[in-house]
Amino acid sequence: MNKQIQDAYIVAVARTPVAKRRGAFRNVRPDDMLAHVLRSVVEKAPGLALNEIGDVIVGCAMPEAEQGMNVARIGLLLAGFPDTIPGITINRFCSSGVNAVADAARRIQLGEADVMIGAGTESMSAMPQMMGNKVAMNPAFFERRENIAIAYGMGLTAEKVAQQYGISREEQDALAMRSHQKACAAIAAGRFRGEISPYLVREHVPDFGSSAVRVVERLVESDEGPRPDSSPEGLAKLKPIFSVKGSVTAGNSSQMSDGAAAVLLMSESALKRYNLTPVARYCGFEVAGVPPEVMGIGPIAAIPKVLKSVGISQEALDWIELNEAFAAQALAVMKTLDLDPDKVNPLGGAIALGHPLGATGAIRVATLASAMQHDPKLRYGLITMCIGTGMGAAGLFERV
Amino acid sequence: MSNFIVRKVAVLGAGVMGAQIAAHCANAEVPVLLFDLSTKDGDPSGIARKAIDSLKKIEPSPIATADRVNHIEAANYDQHLDKLAECDLIIEAIAEKMEWKLDLYRKVAPCLRSDAIFATNTSGLSINKLAEGCPASLRPRFCGVHFFNPPRYMSLVELIPCHGTDATLLDHLESFLTSTLGKSVIRALDTPNFVANRVGVFSMLAVMHHTHQFKLGFDEVDALTGPIIGRPKSATYRTADVVGLDTLVHVIQTMADNLADDPWAHYYASPGWLTALIGQGALGQKTKGGIYRKEGKQIKVLDLSTQAYRDSNAEVADEVAALLKHKSAAERFALLRANQHPHAQFLWAVFRDVFHYVAVHLAHIAHNARDIDLAMRWGFGWNDGPFETWQAAGWKEIADAIHEDIRAGRAMSSAPLPPWVFEVSGVHGAHASFDAATGTLKGRSTLPVYQRQLFPERVAGEQENPGRTLWENDEVRMWTLDDDDGRHVPVLSFKSKMCAVGPVVLDGIIEAVHRAEREHAGLVIWQPTTPFCVGANLKQIRPLLEAGDFVGLEGIVAKFQLMSQTLKYAQVPVVAAVNGLALGGGCEIVMHATRAVCALESYIGLVEVGVGLIPAGGGCKEFAIRSAEMAARTATNDPMNWLQGIFQTIAMGSVSKSARNAKELGLLREQDIVIHNPKELLHVARKTALSLAASGYRPRLPPAGVPVAGRGGIATLEMMLVNMREGGMISAHDYLVSKSVATALCGGNVESGTLVNEKWLLDVERSLFVDLLHTAETKARLIHMLEVGKPLRN
Repeated sequence: MNKQIQDAYIVAVARTPVAKRRGAFRNVRPDDMLAHVLRSVVEKAPGLALNEIGDVIVGCAMPEAEQGMNVARIGLLLAGFPDTIPGITINRFCSSGVNAVADAARRIQLGEADVMIGAGTESMSAMPQMMGNKVAMNPAFFERRENIAIAYGMGLTAEKVAQQYGISREEQDALAMRSHQKACAAIAAGRFRGEISPYLVREHVPDFGSSAVRVVERLVESDEGPRPDSSPEGLAKLKPIFSVKGSVTAGNSSQMSDGAAAVLLMSESALKRYNLTPVARYCGFEVAGVPPEVMGIGPIAAIPKVLKSVGISQEALDWIELNEAFAAQALAVMKTLDLDPDKVNPLGGAIALGHPLGATGAIRVATLASAMQHDPKLRYGLITMCIGTGMGAAGLFERV
Repeated sequence: MSNFIVRKVAVLGAGVMGAQIAAHCANAEVPVLLFDLSTKDGDPSGIARKAIDSLKKIEPSPIATADRVNHIEAANYDQHLDKLAECDLIIEAIAEKMEWKLDLYRKVAPCLRSDAIFATNTSGLSINKLAEGCPASLRPRFCGVHFFNPPRYMSLVELIPCHGTDATLLDHLESFLTSTLGKSVIRALDTPNFVANRVGVFSMLAVMHHTHQFKLGFDEVDALTGPIIGRPKSATYRTADVVGLDTLVHVIQTMADNLADDPWAHYYASPGWLTALIGQGALGQKTKGGIYRKEGKQIKVLDLSTQAYRDSNAEVADEVAALLKHKSAAERFALLRANQHPHAQFLWAVFRDVFHYVAVHLAHIAHNARDIDLAMRWGFGWNDGPFETWQAAGWKEIADAIHEDIRAGRAMSSAPLPPWVFEVSGVHGAHASFDAATGTLKGRSTLPVYQRQLFPERVAGEQENPGRTLWENDEVRMWTLDDDDGRHVPVLSFKSKMCAVGPVVLDGIIEAVHRAEREHAGLVIWQPTTPFCVGANLKQIRPLLEAGDFVGLEGIVAKFQLMSQTLKYAQVPVVAAVNGLALGGGCEIVMHATRAVCALESYIGLVEVGVGLIPAGGGCKEFAIRSAEMAARTATNDPMNWLQGIFQTIAMGSVSKSARNAKELGLLREQDIVIHNPKELLHVARKTALSLAASGYRPRLPPAGVPVAGRGGIATLEMMLVNMREGGMISAHDYLVSKSVATALCGGNVESGTLVNEKWLLDVERSLFVDLLHTAETKARLIHMLEVGKPLRN
């Protein structure tokens, strides 16, 4: 990045716990989750003058209805930020969250701002269907054979990846099992405590006895997805959902979830001004396209691209957050690029931790940042994922 | 009779029967409390709640729609007895232990309202003995009410008074069971196993006895005692497996314990092999093994000679099968008796001993012969009861033959036939049946609820009013009962096999509507037996298909559409009265009738995709219109909200699991009426037509402009098909057929929101239908259905 005029640094991260779809956050709105993480992340930078925030960039994969109307602006207003601060919602499906962090960093690099927030929020509970409130396909998808894969469900594309890359059901289930084990161990060891900002859910429920509305409060402190009782036998019993003779099951696919995260970034001059210690430096972010019918292999194209643009080798990577959209595609990526399994998702992946689409990227940046705070030996960390309709994204950060 | 309204029912005991009786109350819109013992740990009503949850998994389903379980409230005896005061009817269905039952009665008696009915669903215990143990205040309100398993589907309920039961209360209960729950009630006497099980279990014992005598295999006997003699497919031994061998032994034991003086008493014992099976834990279906066992896909049967399971594949001997095909019962029985084949001799022996048994016992186990015959039809699924079979076969000839066999020591018992047998020429007269206790003929119940049954089930020998034909062609008959309602509202019935619809039926419907418009207040389409209609008559279109006469085929489709539109725009109300299957074109008749009145057990669906076609008798058109109307009432005005569900229903050829389920699927309209007793169908349908006529009925104006989902809608539905095809769930032809369904539902390949009219929608579905007829795969599906009777997946 020789054209940049300054570096961008991650100063603080905050995320909600990730809840299962229609789980702990079934009555929590995505704009409220966003407001919560925005407030939490700025609290971690004492003395920050909020009106210095250049922009709040928020990733969201289904920016409509409860998370529509430019949820970024609504979230920051709900957070009590000054109304002088702008906000923008961006969408690149599953990479939206990390994309928002990268976009925020680039604004600093270009010298347009000294303080930025990149964030993500997604409530899959709020969406009645996987494709949002209204599924509306273009007839052109079906009129030309080459466009047909735009209509493929994500699970079907995972089946295609499993087939093309020879990923067996057993391997997929084994990855799923490991994901749960690692995530459960991480929770038990308190590894997510630093990044999670517990969320107080307030629900208005009818008290049928007194005919009054009661407000019930619940503090959600931990990710809801990981299952300590997950077993190879249980996983093996599940039936494939997307293909009669397939291998992709509910057990070896990512979970549908709700969650939000925010990342506070600053330039070096701002760090000095506020006397803050950064966690990591933003190194680069790349996106690449792949055929839509095997969208899961996106990281195979994106990872080398970002390594090249940053100018480091794959071996230099110490920590890889590879979004487990499906075990099939995660394995295809790991095998093809020969990623070191010990470095991939050390605290579990989306099969256990959940995947709130547009929020996931920002959430995993938070996880990477707290891992870097936890372990001084880490240097380079990568956030990568596949993207529906055939893309891969990869963002690179360096511990400072 | 004053009104008797059941606002709430309580069922005590959440076992298999209790939970399913509760479910059936919920099916009938009667809220119900289901009680069982409380549990110490966790949810105190856990036992009842678990039973309610498990209703969702039982097949055939005890619940008419999935939401029914929400109307059954779990309760326990420790916390909720005060809730019994809300109930008008309490049905006790706990284990068959006299002491347990009496304990419970003492416990609940103080909590019951003074006007509540308290009934026990026992199959074996004496109602009077139970009544004696009841607190005195409860006795006038106590009786037995014996449901058969599974209670939703088995029609019979035996109603057994105790000595002190209040007569009005019994009438009330009988009316509730009949009209609200849709059951067929027999008033039984308090004799062991009452009527149906007394005769039915003896019949099983007789079959077991003769199986041994004639050295036949269990599968051989099931082939002989199944559909070939008008009994259920599960015949004898498979039925035993389904019922549970332990249950069967229990019922036999009840007979042994209570009928020591019976001439057949020494047969009231379980054979050694049966007790041995139970000893091994092989209790039948519930333990996945009994007399039969499924090994992989092969059904195996226990062979007593080797004490091992072998393939089950026995068939009835050709000569015996042939003689059983004779139309005349007299001839059948004469041939059966004369034939020396063990199969024939076995069958005669079983019939003889059952005839003998019911003749000897009629006087003290039933009020008349009709009750025994109907009990066997409703409780055991026999097409004909023993007395009517005997009478049809020639009363005197059979009586003499039995007498002869008794004398010769061939019958199971030497008890003589009672003298009345030789004094009468039959037991069923035109309007009454023989009561052996009084030696008189007894007519049918005069309870007002039976006025609602214009065509009660008749036993052979009883007279039926066939009505007066007003007009008919080869395949339909328009007729009237000539009573008050009938003069205004005639009936149209189909004469075709399975009430299938071909050109002659179509002409007949159109003509009948025109006649009704000219001369009557309305019209009811009703069939005397199930099904309502299985759809298009494929046999009649086969010649056109094979000749490649697509113009002729399109003409038939056009006539189908004309029929539907004639129904829809009839100037007098046309009510479809549905019971059983209403498939394809039959469903389209239902959809276009002014109103449908459906028995709960109506299985409705647009199943055309099974033969590679789409609904084109107005079915797709109607859903395009309805979805636009539904959408107009919403903020987003998006017809896809409704079309997606309907598309799946049609594309998968789904058939409703009940009339209420048909409403959920959108195949019935909200205003269509669901009733529980199919015998009341014609009555309710005529009254509905009259009521519509009285309200100044006019058909709705044709829609002036229907906004359709169009190209965008088709694409959205096609997305599902792409994924199913790629996932190997559907074939290429399934894809094509389903896309045709999508196109017809979305009003053709036009822009979304385009305003079209009814004719356009009919033209779209008709032309897609004809296009599909041109494909080899659809042709193959049609031929396969005609020849094999099952859908072909290609």
